[in-house]
Amino acid sequence: MSFLSEVQLKDKFAPFAAFQAGLGFVPNLVRAQTLLPRLIEAQAMLESAVRLREGAIPRVQKERILLIVAAERQDTYCIALDSKILSSVGLSDVQIDGFLADYRNVDLSESELACLQFCLKLSRHAPSLCSKDIDALRACGFADESIFEAVVVTALAVYRCTLSLGLGPEPDFGPRKLPSTRIDQQRGPAPHGSLSDSHEAAQRKGPYVRAPYLSPKAFSPFAIVRQSHGFIPNFFRAQTLRPDLLEAELEAVGRILLPEEALTRVQKESILLAVSAANLNSYCVAMHCNLLRGLGMPSEEGDQIAVDHHESNLSVADKGLLDFAVKLGTRAQEFSREDVINLQAVGFTEEQILECVVVTALNNFANTLQMGLGIEPDFAPPAVFEENKVHLADAVATPIDREGRMHLVDVLQDLDAELVAQAQGGKLEAFEALVRRHTQLIYRTLMAMLGNPADAQDSLQDTLLNAFKHIGGFQGRSKFSTWLVSIARNTALQRLRGRKNLESLDEPEREDEGEFRPRQVRSWADNPEQLHSKSEIQQLVEAGIVGLPAKYRVVVVLRDIEQLSTDEVARELGLSVPAVKTRLLRGRLMLREWLSPHFTASTRGAVK
Amino acid sequence: MITCDEFFAEFADYMENQVSPEIREELTLHLSQCRACQVLYDTSLKTVKIVTESGSFELPHSVSDPIIDCVMAKLRKERS
Repeated sequence: MSFLSEVQLKDKFAPFAAFQAGLGFVPNLVRAQTLLPRLIEAQAMLESAVRLREGAIPRVQKERILLIVAAERQDTYCIALDSKILSSVGLSDVQIDGFLADYRNVDLSESELACLQFCLKLSRHAPSLCSKDIDALRACGFADESIFEAVVVTALAVYRCTLSLGLGPEPDFGPRKLPSTRIDQQRGPAPHGSLSDSHEAAQRKGPYVRAPYLSPKAFSPFAIVRQSHGFIPNFFRAQTLRPDLLEAELEAVGRILLPEEALTRVQKESILLAVSAANLNSYCVAMHCNLLRGLGMPSEEGDQIAVDHHESNLSVADKGLLDFAVKLGTRAQEFSREDVINLQAVGFTEEQILECVVVTALNNFANTLQMGLGIEPDFAPPAVFEENKVHLADAVATPIDREGRMHLVDVLQDLDAELVAQAQGGKLEAFEALVRRHTQLIYRTLMAMLGNPADAQDSLQDTLLNAFKHIGGFQGRSKFSTWLVSIARNTALQRLRGRKNLESLDEPEREDEGEFRPRQVRSWADNPEQLHSKSEIQQLVEAGIVGLPAKYRVVVVLRDIEQLSTDEVARELGLSVPAVKTRLLRGRLMLREWLSPHFTASTRGAVK
Repeated sequence: MITCDEFFAEFADYMENQVSPEIREELTLHLSQCRACQVLYDTSLKTVKIVTESGSFELPHSVSDPIIDCVMAKLRKERS
């Protein structure tokens, strides 16, 4: 009996038929997910595409990868299952026992052995993977297609092991004899590099394999991703060598993450964030922080979950959910039925627990793919996470010290920190110095939101008074300037509410807005700035910006005039980076339309 | 070659130099052969430059100083 209840599904249930056809039976690992059949559909899609479909790596080698990763993770369920499947593709029991006893001493070619060593390292030490490992594969004759497939098969192996250790299915077959030495101790060379080695970090720069351009028009899943995420993450763009695998993966991700019948989207994204952070995966941390922001979670809360969710504002139950996921995602061998019972005790249903296990497995699948392919980040990860990463590496390696990790949040570098501490102690001179340092930022934020200099100047005074009133509550979880902008935003919002025609800053982009296309196609003068005086240009730009809808205006002012990075703008406005990019492009294009008549090659004379 | 719609879909990231080498190559090829997109790209870059260098919405010290002085005076008065 697995950790969770099972229900009867019809034998005609398509994924069961697919497992039956592909493997000759339906594994208990699959039956353990019958409470939410869409999760079985997701696994069937992944297994069909990655394991069963013919590709660059022969099926028998894929089965070896799945088995060696299961053995490295000491997953007795998967070892028994995958041994049986390996025998079904032509290996004898004696060969399989020999392979498990010491994979280096069986009759494998140099390239097969190199591939297994690479996959083991990816499974065991993914953060230390670097371009040298890829070079080693290439030296053995591996083309990009084979490297890509080795990474994806390893990711599938990690996915299945996480499922198996989290669901505790009944064995399908009798246990296999395990080697006396652990697989990771059999490996010869130590992994290349370490987290603190900057030279190795530079070598880690990806992407490691080719990724041909795939247009959303030609590949409809990309169009769907763009619609749901607002952009196409590099995570998916980096996998275009095999559009068929990518399509299966996107289908599986959709089935696992989008429905809200058990856990909510926010809960699932929080799981993905916390487990990615524990796996030291900056790419996925940045991604899920952004997605959570898009779902309405404040930036600081996402950052806090990345560094230590115990100190976040999540409910006690949700913190328990993340504890469960982090343990399963990083220390699965310690995981047991008791963890499931504990989660039930704080109110989670079996369906929710099942979904948490599958989301954690998906997270480990994604983390493995990202590190194995060296996928470049779409956005910067939270500074607090990066600064604490080395400490977090220790924290992951050793039992979690809550006090120690709580302290980590406070090490965020902020040049204002000393003045803030003095101001919090009541020193007015320190507060005045801070205020003078950030007046322009506050004023521009107010001007961007209110679109009117008189209102902005009045609100500047209110903002400064509000800032002093609340400075005692500033905990240093964000930069002081970010906190000041949030005070300015709230002050401006109060004033906007008093207006009859309230301009919305928060409404999402509408479909028809996506169609905004530039109309002006006349080229501009080579040096358009020389057509008008500086003050004329300033007047033109200010009039153009004031004429923008507020939600575009505020992004353009902070990004192009205040020159914050896209990520900083997103944090300061509590938006996702893709939302900022969309608004910024529209705002810039509207300004371009406005400025065009004044800067085309034939333009002469004063600004009207 | 990619279409103008496809170019426009990648336009924001291209402007910010945030596309992969493969995509950049496609977009640059399109740009070299499409006058309309070339104008769009060139004028958009010039827009950003003009806006960035305009010094817009700068609050002169002659305006900001009295506001800050007034706030500090209020706070000192409350303190005493």
